[in-house]
Amino acid sequence: MIAPFFSIEQALADFRASRALRDCFPEVPDDLFSRVMRYGAAVGSRIEVHDKIPRCMGRLRDLIDRTGTGEEPVPSGTLVMARELANGCGRFDREWFAPRGGLWLALAWADTLLPDYARLLPLAAGSACCQAVRSRGVDAKLKWVNDIHWQGRKLGGILCETFCGKGAGDRYHIIGIGINCNNVYFPPALRKTSVSLQDILGVPVDLDEFVPVLLGFLTWHFGLVHLHEEQCLAHLHDELRGEGVNPVIQAWRRLSDTPGRKVVYGYDVVRQPLYTAVARDVDQSGGLVLALENGETVIETGGEILYL
Amino acid sequence: MTQQEIHFDEIISRYRSDPFHYVDIHTIHAGQVRYLVEEGSEVEGPTGEWKQVPGTPLYEITRERNAKLIHSQTNGVVSELRGELEGEFVEAGEKLMTIRHPLKKKEIIESILQEVLYIFPAPERARYYFSMDIQSRIDQKGARSVFIQPGDEIITMSLMKRDTPVYYTGEAGIIHSIYFKPGASVDQGVPLIGVCPKNKLQLIQKIITRVKAEWE
Repeated sequence: MIAPFFSIEQALADFRASRALRDCFPEVPDDLFSRVMRYGAAVGSRIEVHDKIPRCMGRLRDLIDRTGTGEEPVPSGTLVMARELANGCGRFDREWFAPRGGLWLALAWADTLLPDYARLLPLAAGSACCQAVRSRGVDAKLKWVNDIHWQGRKLGGILCETFCGKGAGDRYHIIGIGINCNNVYFPPALRKTSVSLQDILGVPVDLDEFVPVLLGFLTWHFGLVHLHEEQCLAHLHDELRGEGVNPVIQAWRRLSDTPGRKVVYGYDVVRQPLYTAVARDVDQSGGLVLALENGETVIETGGEILYL
Repeated sequence: MTQQEIHFDEIISRYRSDPFHYVDIHTIHAGQVRYLVEEGSEVEGPTGEWKQVPGTPLYEITRERNAKLIHSQTNGVVSELRGELEGEFVEAGEKLMTIRHPLKKKEIIESILQEVLYIFPAPERARYYFSMDIQSRIDQKGARSVFIQPGDEIITMSLMKRDTPVYYTGEAGIIHSIYFKPGASVDQGVPLIGVCPKNKLQLIQKIITRVKAEWE
């Protein structure tokens, strides 16, 4: 582990208190804004910065496993960052190229949400990353579930898993995030499909400035999931509550270009595409509503899509 | 073993005298109910390659001017219908009707096995696949050679691109039946696997053989 050359914690606290973040949500009243930020405040509660490790998610798993064997529990919001990953990987056995210049991190979030709300975390993570990228002046979009792309080229990706520690048996959601920032070299197989912020902007991104911004947006969007849970539970016994708007989905929709796109769907869409359809919308639980060519509708809650 | 055989005979005769499965249909939430079928109506379950064609519409429920159509998930005949609830505002979970679903031989075997096996259900509506270790053991030796015990990571649940390991919590035994196709979407509570303790394996083989022989 190395000492970062600036205080991320202080920069994060500054950004959370800044007008820059508050002005992103002008429609939200001050008291509600504060409640959301309090719910998400654990993001970055402990931060480890490494020069080079195999995988950030693997490092978090190790830390969680040690709990109960004399080590202190891993605080929710613990963050592991690395300047370079030796063994980055995507879903299934897909390779993830993670050299210096990119932003590679993983966040542990204690599993305190009910299942109906925990399923929204991958969407919330996508919204946070997309909004952070947009704050740099790049018109990034979200592809369901949480791929961040710019003009069809991948800028960032997110991996989520739930992990139960071997020691104390504590359960955490581990969210792995990779954003191509200043890494401008890609292997030949990825050159046409990947892009970095530096490629788009023409100048390097200041990571010292970008990291707190990303963590600030994660604070907001994760906090929103918890606030949504609180509000739904408060109205659990109100039979006439109607179908309320899910703010996590609302935020996601504003950032996504998936609705209206013709897509190919599959569980592992690269290896085994299943069918083509038109993406209509996402439902209140984040499921993708797909219109098939024969006019029927399917809602998918897992798997992935490619744009046609 | 004798006790198990007596139990087995009872189960067999029960299915012989009444080879149906009765599916109760309850309101999914509170609202005003309008029936779309009557007692004696034949209904169909969902069809299509991805079960994307909904089954027969059973009832419509309206709450705050938001009407929802509820479709049948199985085929059969409406054997009982609470007609007095037509047009009424009812609470969530109120029983509306019962569908009598005729069991096929394969379903009878499965139903009997599900009474004998330890059934491990899907914790949430999601896509499921075996953990890498279990899948490789199934590929090498077949499911019925794979022994699992409480605490084993057996399945991965994939929901909204989030993978969650699922740990086995039932009786130790071999994976006798697999009720899901890896990567397919499974509803909450639907059985994923049926596990057989080693000492019951012989009895289960007898059940299958006897049902196959007796049911034409």
